[in-house]
Amino acid sequence: MAAAGFLSVAPLLLFAGSANANSLNPPPTTRKNAGTPNSTIVVKNKSGVVVKYGNKYITYKAPSSKLDALGQALFMENCASCHGSEADGVPANGTSGAYPDLVGLGPATITFWIDSGRMPAKNLAAVQARRGQPALTPFQATAIAAWVNSLLPSYPDIPTPHLKNANVADGAALFALNCAACHTIEGDGDALAASTFSPSLRNIPAFQVVEAIRTGPANMPRFTGNLSDQQVADITKYVTTEIQHPNNPGGFGLGGLGPVAEGFVGLLLGLGLLMLVCYWIGDRS
Amino acid sequence: MSDLEEHRTPVSLNGLSEDDLRLQPLAKNPQTVERVIAVTFLVGTLFVAAFGASYWVNAKPWILGATMGAGLFLLGVGLVAWGKYLMPRGPFVEERHTLANSDADREALAAAIVERGGSVVKRRKMLAGILGGGMGIFGIVALFPLLRSLGPLPKGTLFHTDWKKGSYVVDQTGRRVNVGDLAIGSIVTVFPEGTENSDRGQAVDQTVLIRISNQNFTTQKGRETWGPMGYVAYSKLCTHLGCPVGLYEQQLQLLVCPCHQSMFNVTNGAIPQFGPAPRPLPQLPLYIDANGNIRAQADYDQPVGPGFWERHRVTGSKV
Repeated sequence: MAAAGFLSVAPLLLFAGSANANSLNPPPTTRKNAGTPNSTIVVKNKSGVVVKYGNKYITYKAPSSKLDALGQALFMENCASCHGSEADGVPANGTSGAYPDLVGLGPATITFWIDSGRMPAKNLAAVQARRGQPALTPFQATAIAAWVNSLLPSYPDIPTPHLKNANVADGAALFALNCAACHTIEGDGDALAASTFSPSLRNIPAFQVVEAIRTGPANMPRFTGNLSDQQVADITKYVTTEIQHPNNPGGFGLGGLGPVAEGFVGLLLGLGLLMLVCYWIGDRS
Repeated sequence: MSDLEEHRTPVSLNGLSEDDLRLQPLAKNPQTVERVIAVTFLVGTLFVAAFGASYWVNAKPWILGATMGAGLFLLGVGLVAWGKYLMPRGPFVEERHTLANSDADREALAAAIVERGGSVVKRRKMLAGILGGGMGIFGIVALFPLLRSLGPLPKGTLFHTDWKKGSYVVDQTGRRVNVGDLAIGSIVTVFPEGTENSDRGQAVDQTVLIRISNQNFTTQKGRETWGPMGYVAYSKLCTHLGCPVGLYEQQLQLLVCPCHQSMFNVTNGAIPQFGPAPRPLPQLPLYIDANGNIRAQADYDQPVGPGFWERHRVTGSKV
């Protein structure tokens, strides 16, 4: 089924992204511009640039170029001190490679990091930025994405999932196969190598789930050709329903940590309570 | 107190007077407490009866549980309160006599055993021999199921996977992976075509395909042609205990095993950087055919997964 879904959207492959990547001649581990939209819907503007693409599962929309000027101003104010005035990761008087180069990462990457509150960075010494209250509004994030994207138009654009078409059961199977290794089967996240961690998925809006899967923020691998838009929508539906609103028999999930947490609570509360009752029964004076 | 004595055989109180505090109940007002307990028992009895009734009418499970639970709880509370507040509060101590027999008795018994033992109890060598033989044979027979339950001998299967020269690399749905499919920083679990739904395919042949570049990538000397267009493939079986090494950290370029946190360096032939894994993950040599499909050049050049006794026969390695 999944293979059929992929093949049905495959005929309209646009290789704009990979063409750019080849001309850049990047170092071996760069992630730039590797996304290619494979779509049944493709909308171009007057100058032939793709501004919207996707299918009935997810549509991707490029930020309007009218926001470029605003985005540049916001970037200079909030981002340029580290990422440099050219968004290439080279701050003033800084060395190349000290901070991530943002050119060619695609608008969805920019909005994901800003909308999840990870950027602008609150703690520069931290190994890994944490999700938090966003410092900029979604509109401002889109504006910054518009300007960065204007430097080198690239994919993926900002996604909107249409979850009514998605299948939550398929999503569960795909989640177990692709996501659970790091995020755990309950979606709570876990520790990884070298002081990094996979974050919890309990409180993430649907479009950011898609953004994370498609762009692969930080240490997360990106899932592009190996997951179709239908499959990504399935996973997103599973995350935003079953993972984020779990049906906990007994009413308290205990962090989804399984029998360890449950046994601990059983011992501490249950046995403790029983001991107090025994003490009350035996106490006669 | 007086009406109780009418129905009971008088017992010696060992010099306790009837006014002794230890004989009084704990409750200051026993009549009231008795009434409260009576009410508790009554309500508990009603709940137990309600449990019976709801069982009779096939009520919902939570009603069964609630009525039975409440009934037993109230009866229990009443019982505990009865013992705690209405019974004499105690404590009472009963002295006991010494338990040991007199020295004379013990000496007599020892003498009797020595005297009779020599004449009555005889050694029966034949019986002991037969019994010993039976037990010994049983010990050997008991090993049979242990050996049989180890299953069929693995023969060559430990040394080879189903990857062959020209095997198509497919994902779990059986779709062939094309060179344009993965972006840099992507990972997918792959199988040799035709094994993606088999137990053996999922147990032995499972392989992680990672794209770490868009140019041919050499992970180690001698593997110059193994990573075409930046696609590298490693066995997904940890060399420690065979867990699926599925955690790919694409910035650190580490594959992490979820069981014991072994970490393998993806860009350097998956040599273990941390943890208990003794060997690198074996790398699968790949090539890209004329249609852009990714295929295997050959099987792995060494056994995959954890070590076993005969492993050094093919690798010459001690570990």
